[in-house]
Amino acid sequence: MITWSEEQRQIRSMFRKFVESEIAPRREEFEFGDTPPYDVLRKMITTFGIGEMAKAQFFARLERERSGNDSTREGSGKGGDTMAAMRLLPIIELSRYSPGMITALGVSMGLTANAIIRHGTIAQQEKYVPELLTLEKIGAWAITEPDSGSDAFGSMKATAKPDGEGGYILNGNKTFITNGPYADTIVFICKLDEGNPPEQRKVLSFVVDGETPGLTRSKPLRKMGLHASPTGELFLEDVRVGKDRLLGETEDIPARSSAKQTFTAERTAVAAMAFGIIERCLELCTAYAKDRVQFGRPIGEFQLVQLKLAKMEVARMNVQNLVFRQIEMTEMGVTMDIAEASACKLYSAQAAMEVALEAVQLFGGNGYMAEFQVEQLCRDAKVLQIYGGTDEIQVSQIARTLLAR
Amino acid sequence: MKILVALKRVADPDNANKVKIPADGSTIDTAGLEFKPNPFDEYALETALRLTEDGTKPKVRDGEVIVVTFGPADTESTLRAALATGADRAIRVDANDDQLDGLLVAKGLKTLVAEEKPDIVLMGKQAVDGDTNQVGQALAELLDWPMATFAATIEEQEDGLVVGREVDGGVLELSIKYPAVVTVDLRIVSPSSVYSTKTDRSFKYNEGVRFSPLPAIMQARRKPLDTKSLADLVDDTGLKINYLRFEAPPARLAGVKVADAAELVDKLKNEAKVL
Repeated sequence: MITWSEEQRQIRSMFRKFVESEIAPRREEFEFGDTPPYDVLRKMITTFGIGEMAKAQFFARLERERSGNDSTREGSGKGGDTMAAMRLLPIIELSRYSPGMITALGVSMGLTANAIIRHGTIAQQEKYVPELLTLEKIGAWAITEPDSGSDAFGSMKATAKPDGEGGYILNGNKTFITNGPYADTIVFICKLDEGNPPEQRKVLSFVVDGETPGLTRSKPLRKMGLHASPTGELFLEDVRVGKDRLLGETEDIPARSSAKQTFTAERTAVAAMAFGIIERCLELCTAYAKDRVQFGRPIGEFQLVQLKLAKMEVARMNVQNLVFRQIEMTEMGVTMDIAEASACKLYSAQAAMEVALEAVQLFGGNGYMAEFQVEQLCRDAKVLQIYGGTDEIQVSQIARTLLAR
Repeated sequence: MKILVALKRVADPDNANKVKIPADGSTIDTAGLEFKPNPFDEYALETALRLTEDGTKPKVRDGEVIVVTFGPADTESTLRAALATGADRAIRVDANDDQLDGLLVAKGLKTLVAEEKPDIVLMGKQAVDGDTNQVGQALAELLDWPMATFAATIEEQEDGLVVGREVDGGVLELSIKYPAVVTVDLRIVSPSSVYSTKTDRSFKYNEGVRFSPLPAIMQARRKPLDTKSLADLVDDTGLKINYLRFEAPPARLAGVKVADAAELVDKLKNEAKVL
């Protein structure tokens, strides 16, 4: 794939039109106010039939699983490019104006729903997944804790203790949880406490409702960027759940490796987000360089400004190629391995950060003002190097894979 | 109900400043311009969809909407987009822009109308590139059909339409019988400007033209798109309008500071001649 197809362009222009008419004019409100993003995201899901499509695919997959013919290949074969583009184009287009929005959407429809699809029994999938795919319910995926970030499983303190009646008692504090303040359906990841040492404990996932006795949550946390995405803390104190809430309904599921699959999906989405941010920064900068006059001529005539623009364009081309590669791989039914996903994420997150910082510099004083969008994109871009595995974690993932060869 | 919608693609009106004219003024250089459907024609398509549905069930089409454009092969993407929005089938009449003028397009449409026998021909009041505002009127004349131009509201009746036209000082309501030619203005896509007999009057549409759901974009691939040549439709393909020369509007001059009110009044009176 070397360029967007006619059909992909059409999908892109539809999303762009939606974002420019429904989200861009309300950027201030989402960025600096307390409006949660869910109403406008629901409108997008409904307008484009995304929820319906995701639900149809989900039920078809469930049917295959029921008949014992489980296939994890999604969107392979003919039309796979369109399916992949349909996943990535909304990410790109939303990221041009609001990387926070796509984070809130992706965590609910993507991370949370996929965690349940990967670990859950058929009954659990049927119960929780459809409403997450239509955003009728908001999902959160709770793994990070105050003392466990990059070392997610090693230092995890949250526990599930058997209550002796077949159910469990859940305890633990989770933080930086996207959608935490509003989530209806929370996937809570914790360790099974059977009296054994923490490092030997099994990792389990539970589905907890937003309104469960013993669960309290913080208000949205103030943060550097991603203001359109509500992030919060969750506190579970002796939350009693039945076995039907344990994903897979068995203590013997390889939760660690499934969480890693979740990481791969998260990482590949970051390239699309980075592309949206870079493309938008470059657009804004090119227009500004032609328009802004200093020393009697447009600043685009100065070589130092030209260098910035040229570097941004190189980054844009590189990250676009990573996005094309993902689309092509989906069409072929090939899943990216975690080392390659890490490399894509590492490169595109750094590229987005560099471009956005240079965009602020190119805009000068105006770039530092919130009125000009590069200020927001610069704050938002930083998170790409932190969430879904920090740059440092990506580096070690890539290196470990190389050294193991 | 069968509706034929004429659709033209134009250079993106939001990027009008990118239009270049070579020094000899012989043509307009469209290289590097992005093309979009003429906004008024998009409104016409939206109108056609509203007239062939119950507003609460936009997936069910009651009748047929056919879109037609006159243009080279790459205009098919405009037609595919219209099919994704809800039109049933499309026709492309193969021709380049410089082989066409308003009357020729109207003559071509006349032949298509004879083949398709629509109840209504809908189109924008004008295309935002040439702004000639001729095709609808010329077509109605050639067909000898009733016509309503600059429609701001349309209400479907049993045997025709009640069309509200915005005129100076108010709205003129016309009642026209099928078959008819209607050209639309921008307010036709307001939430309560178009009602089919199936749509309840309390129903409010979203402002503007509708988005294509993703499944519809994929289905649009399989909808029929026919190609015809201009010569099949019109015997004499000669142009009645010949463009002699193009020139860009004069660049805006820098402003001047006036010393006092008297000088301002003098300039308004004698230079700008607006007083």
